[in-house]
This record gives sequence, structure tokens and C-alpha cells, in this order.
Amino acid sequence: MDIIVAKDVRKKFKLKHGQQVKNNGIVSNEIDALGGFDLNIKKGEFLVLVGPSGSGKSVFLDIVGGLSTPTSGVVYLDDKPVDAPSEKTGYVFQQYALFPWRTALSNIEFGLESRGVVKEERVKIARELLSLFGLSDFEDRYPYQLSGGMQQRVAIARALATKPEVLLMDEPFAALDAQTREILQNELIRIWEGTDTTVIFVTHSIDEAVFLADRVAVVTARPGKIKEIIEIDLPRPRHGDIRSCSAFAANRHKVWGALKAEVNKAQQDWKHAPVNSK
Amino acid sequence: MTISNKTKAFLGSSIVPLLLVIVWQYVASSGYVASFILPSPNQIIKTFVTNFVEKEYALHIAASLKRVLIGFLIGTVSGFSFGLLMGLSRTAEKIFGPFFNVIRQVPIIGFIPLIIMWFGVTELPRIIIITVAAFYPVTLNTFAGIRNVPKEYFELSSVYGYKGLKLIRRIVIPAALPSITTGITLALGMSWAMLMAAELFIQTYFGIGTRIQLGRDKFNMALVIVGIITVGALGFFMTTIVEQLAKALDRGKIIRKET
Repeated sequence: MDIIVAKDVRKKFKLKHGQQVKNNGIVSNEIDALGGFDLNIKKGEFLVLVGPSGSGKSVFLDIVGGLSTPTSGVVYLDDKPVDAPSEKTGYVFQQYALFPWRTALSNIEFGLESRGVVKEERVKIARELLSLFGLSDFEDRYPYQLSGGMQQRVAIARALATKPEVLLMDEPFAALDAQTREILQNELIRIWEGTDTTVIFVTHSIDEAVFLADRVAVVTARPGKIKEIIEIDLPRPRHGDIRSCSAFAANRHKVWGALKAEVNKAQQDWKHAPVNSK
Repeated sequence: MTISNKTKAFLGSSIVPLLLVIVWQYVASSGYVASFILPSPNQIIKTFVTNFVEKEYALHIAASLKRVLIGFLIGTVSGFSFGLLMGLSRTAEKIFGPFFNVIRQVPIIGFIPLIIMWFGVTELPRIIIITVAAFYPVTLNTFAGIRNVPKEYFELSSVYGYKGLKLIRRIVIPAALPSITTGITLALGMSWAMLMAAELFIQTYFGIGTRIQLGRDKFNMALVIVGIITVGALGFFMTTIVEQLAKALDRGKIIRKET
């Protein structure tokens, strides 16, 4: 069953006054971020979007999350068109976006507060999640007292607290160092494998995509659309060691094969993309 | 013997004032400078004591404190409200922003003749001057604080259904708080600075500024300096209180990563 269906989603952005771009030789003050995005996502699957910078992956995520509306086309969530943020979705940002005036525990409670969950219940849920991420000793710490990896764990816990059907993750590990990143990938996959949450995960890292995903959707250079969907045929539950097996390398090779041409194209685009006319 | 860091800091910060007093005492007692131009620290202390045993000096301090507090409070509350309005609404910013930015370029002292014409030589114009002085920094910093709230906070809020007053109270104001308290601390300093202008330009019987004026008229620089020290000490004391309050409010310190 498909929980999310995107049909011919297009998104244009108006540039600031005086800015122009060249699209196929035509000068315009609009930029096409998404150019006919079609994607079906199965309930409970872990889908990873990879694509060159500026290919509109995050824009698509925002549309699924109801934070942005498409110029044309539609995204269905549980058969209903998305036109506003839904209680069924959770969000994890690259920059954590924890509230600095709240403790780790209270940050996780945030989403539950507006859902009318009583205090004891909120604290119970938040403590369970903290322990799941090995952060039980840190519940009273403020974000600035936590490392980057810990902050992102808290942010993921906050998103999971409301038990979302769909979890949207926008390059959540991009700001972390390589080792912490692998550890968080392992933790995420361990925790996710115990839930039936659908995840849409945006990344630039092919290794990350292959390690996490059921399917990797490769997005084209701007305007973004799905170029190819690659099934990752690695067994679950997955452990960190799987990164060094030959099947992993084969999957990695497949994804890179689909992505390479798009990355090259995007880099060509950059040469004449941002034109500031007088 | 070990000396704690606090003691070290205190000793360090006393070096400049101590040197100043020593040089001052030396110059004053050398006879090169007439004592009515530069009274010696000794004289200052004497004047200080005679002033403070008088009941009247307390009334002068009380009058000035009251002026500062009223002006500062009105200026802070209105500045906060105005900054909040402009920070939250692009329309309000478009309507009020340009006018505000032009008018705040004029030093408040420039308005004093006008304010006296309109309100007379009364308590009201003095308070207005202090209010305006406090209003600017609070407005500007509240506005900037709100505009710098990361967009992710708004996105999260909309994902979790925070809007309207709840959004402002629970997200916007806490996120902008460090900037708002900076504005309030600046406002307090401005209030004290403008208190002097208000009391010197708009004559009044009670006020530390009046005492300074009196000292000038009587060629009694000791009186002037005692007034200056009083204002400095009171200003320092109040700023410390406000800074401590701000620190207490600002739980979890803000270390915001630039993206």
C-alpha cells in the first residue's frame, strides 16, 4: 500500500528582483525547482532521495510535510492531498533546530504538548526515547551542553515522540563528523527497524543512502524529477559491518552510476546559473 | 597563598581607578591647579559625606531614580510592543519602519526645545526624553531578535500546530530573548545618559542633575564630581541588576550555529 503518492509535482520559485537565470538558453526570473516529480512511497518503507545540489530534494520534502505548496501537481498522504502540515508527519532538520531554552527532555516533549498529552505521559515518552538513544543521563542538559551527535539524537527523538506515520529527514547527519555519522546511522536503522514508520530521507552521501534505504530514488539535476529508483537488496536487520561487504559495494556502484551524469550536469548548470543582471 | 580568580579580577579592575586617584591627589595638592577647578579627592570625600548626611540629597537621588525608572519602564514596554509588531508583521514594518529609522537618527537632545514648547518645564518632558531614549534600543533589538529566529522554528511550530499567541509566547519570544535583553540593558544605559540631559536642560529643583548644575553655578566642582560619581554608581548598580535578571531569564544560553 502506498502511503505517499506524488503526481507530477512542479515547483517554480520567483527570483528576487533583478536576479535572472538561464534555462536552456531562455533568460527568466523564475527558477524551476521541481519539474514533474512522480513518486510512490510504500507504507513503512525507508526511502532515500539522492541527487545533485539544487535538485529540489528538500523542496519535495517540504511539500510532503505541508510546509510548502506545489505550483502544480499534488502529493497525497493516506489518499488525502497535502495542503498543510499534518499531525502524521515528523520533521528532522540538518541544523537540529533544538530550542536552546529547553532541556533535552523538554525539547522532546515539545510536539506532545500541543497534542494535549498530559505532563506525566509526555515525560514518560520522552524518557523512553532518551534511553533508546542512550541519553538517559542527559535529560536535564540544555542543547549547548550536548555534542552535535547528541543534539541530533534529541531532535530525532523529538520527531519520533508524536509517533508520526511519516518521518521527513532533511540531510540530518550532514553537519556531523564521519564517525559520529556512522554511529547515528546505525542507531537510526536499529530504532527504525523496530517501528512501522515511513521515512523519507534526503542525503548527499551514497554510502548513507545504501546503508539506510529500502529504495534509493535518484533525482535529476534541476528541475528535479525522479530519474531512477534503485532497490537496495541488502538484508535486514542491518548492522554497521554490512558496509564492508561486496553486495554493499555493488549497490553503491548502481546508485553512483545513476547519479553521476546528473551531478555533472548540475555542475555545468552552475557555470551559467546565477546571473545577476544590473 | 593562593588567590582566587575573583579576587584577581577585582584587584585587576581596581588598578585604573587607584592610579587615577593617586595622580589626581598629587596634581590637586601640588598647587598647579586651583582647587575650584580640580578639587582633591579629599575634598570630594568631604563633600560626599556632607551631602549624604543631608536629608535633601536622598530626595535628589529619589527624584532622579523615579524619573529613570518610569521613563525606562514605559520606554521598554512600548519598545518591546512596537518591536514585536514590526518583527511579526512585514506590513507593519513597511508602514512604520522607514519613519522610525529616519526619526531615530535625530539625537533626542535635538527634540528638547520642541518638547519644552509643548509640555512646558514640567516633569512630563523629562520623562518623555528618557522614555524615548529607552524606546529605541528595545525596539531595534526586539525587532532584530524576532527576524533572526531560525526559520526551522517556525516550520516546527507549524508541524506541531503552534500558531497565534501560543506561537509568539512559546517560540518567538523565547527565541528572541537574548536579543531583547540586550536591548533592555542598552536602554537602561541610555536612560541614565538622557536623565542628565533631561535634568540639565529642563530645570527642576530635585535631581542629581540639578546638583551638578548647582555645583557649576557655584564654581563648586566637588559638588559636580560627587553628582557624577552618584550617577555612575547608581547606573552601574541598576545595570548589574538588569544583567543578572537577563542571565537568569536566558536559560540554556544561545549558541546558534550559522548555516
